[in-house]
Amino acid sequence: MRKYIVMFIALLSLASVAMAAESQIWGEMRIQNILGYGQEESLKLGPLFTMLQHHYFAWIFLGVLIGVPGAFFIHYKIIGPKVFPHSEKKYYAFNLYNRIIHQVAAVSFLVIIPTGFIIVFGDFFGGGTLVRMAKNLHGIFTIPFTIVVIPMALMWVKEAIFNMDDVKWLMIVGGYLSKEKKPILAGKFNCGQKMWYWVAILGGITMILSGAFMYFLDFKMQMLHDLTGMSQIDMLRAAAIIHNVMGFAVLALFITHVYMSMFAIKGAVHSIITGYVEEEEVKILHSTWYKKLKDQGKF
Amino acid sequence: MDYARMKFYCDESRCIECDGCSVACAEAHELPTGISRRKVVTINEGIPGKEMSTSIACMHCTDAPCQQVCPVDCFYIREDGIVLHDKNTCIGCGYCLYACPFGAPQFPRDGAFGAKGAMDKCTMCAGGPLETNSEKERHLYGQNRIAEGKVPVCAAMCSTKALLVGDAESVSNVYRARVMARGGKGANSPYGWDKAYKNQ
Repeated sequence: MRKYIVMFIALLSLASVAMAAESQIWGEMRIQNILGYGQEESLKLGPLFTMLQHHYFAWIFLGVLIGVPGAFFIHYKIIGPKVFPHSEKKYYAFNLYNRIIHQVAAVSFLVIIPTGFIIVFGDFFGGGTLVRMAKNLHGIFTIPFTIVVIPMALMWVKEAIFNMDDVKWLMIVGGYLSKEKKPILAGKFNCGQKMWYWVAILGGITMILSGAFMYFLDFKMQMLHDLTGMSQIDMLRAAAIIHNVMGFAVLALFITHVYMSMFAIKGAVHSIITGYVEEEEVKILHSTWYKKLKDQGKF
Repeated sequence: MDYARMKFYCDESRCIECDGCSVACAEAHELPTGISRRKVVTINEGIPGKEMSTSIACMHCTDAPCQQVCPVDCFYIREDGIVLHDKNTCIGCGYCLYACPFGAPQFPRDGAFGAKGAMDKCTMCAGGPLETNSEKERHLYGQNRIAEGKVPVCAAMCSTKALLVGDAESVSNVYRARVMARGGKGANSPYGWDKAYKNQ
């Protein structure tokens, strides 16, 4: 218990050193930061961040927000969803623990992503209370995600390792470009799900860390300075750039994940709600896994 | 009416690190502890001939980078070049600090979670977007001395007249006269001007 209290106090002091004498931003380093701004020998992160944020970030986010659902809308209209009969045979694939962990992450994302948008397009929303609230929620809902990200990483890592099935899956884009129902090579998770796993886990952790940097702003981590050779302000600039760029990937794959589970494969979302997957669905979309389950007499 | 461009200039050969400017600023605007709109910094302390002090605040840059990155577009630049922002629009994201060459934006911590509050920075004593000299303006942005025809408090208070503020031409004239008087010593462009005003 004492350990946690000490940790909590350490965390608080981390946040409150902001304006203390040992400030990493406004203290002694300030002159070096000023002199180094945009100099030849520096990383030029200040001007780089300014340029990217001024000209590109919001437009790329808008592009992803319109482009990805747009492409899926066309896919839905032309190729249409995959509909599988709700057979009596089902397999219990996700236990309660899996589902709770997933649902906590899901709820976090459902808050973090829209609030992220409100911040990116803050000028459209007029700033002020609404956008400030979005910013606070964006941070608060990072906490539940942070709690579940490691358990989620561990519980699915075995199924998320890429193998030869994925090469074949990629060549036919998972069979989503055809209306035919041919068995597709994939284990419990197909290549697309694996990609989402790695972006959500590794990208998610990157988002947590870069976001925490920007939240705590003025903290001292000598190890990080030694490791990167960067000043505090440059680390913050790097964090802001990484947070945005990684945001594109997380956003694009999140939309894909939602489309696949809610629209492209009718009823697929129920597997993570009830824990049961339909036999037909597994047979076609995860044929390698189906063979394994069949051999084990699970169906 | 053609507006002059307002600039800050701190003469390093005159600054004696008395901190008068930052204390005057904090007192005049009743800034909370931990917020220093203006700060005096000394480098190469104790090294003869190399020690140098200067006073830094928002330089009110041309093409201000803070304005370019602000996601809620809370900055506006007056016709005389003074860069101001609307605290009611600001969400305290910190982007302006990352873009700023001078480390000028400051963030008070507020609320239960210690989230960053609305950004605070030097206004060149020109207040904010609220009604000029109103109680609200004074509370959020500090004094509006420019509207009263007064010199910003930091420069007014500077005992060695190291810190100058005024329209570009007047500041340049003083600077030129001082360099001449020193026999050309320190004829480089004033410190920070390359970044703030692109040497114009």
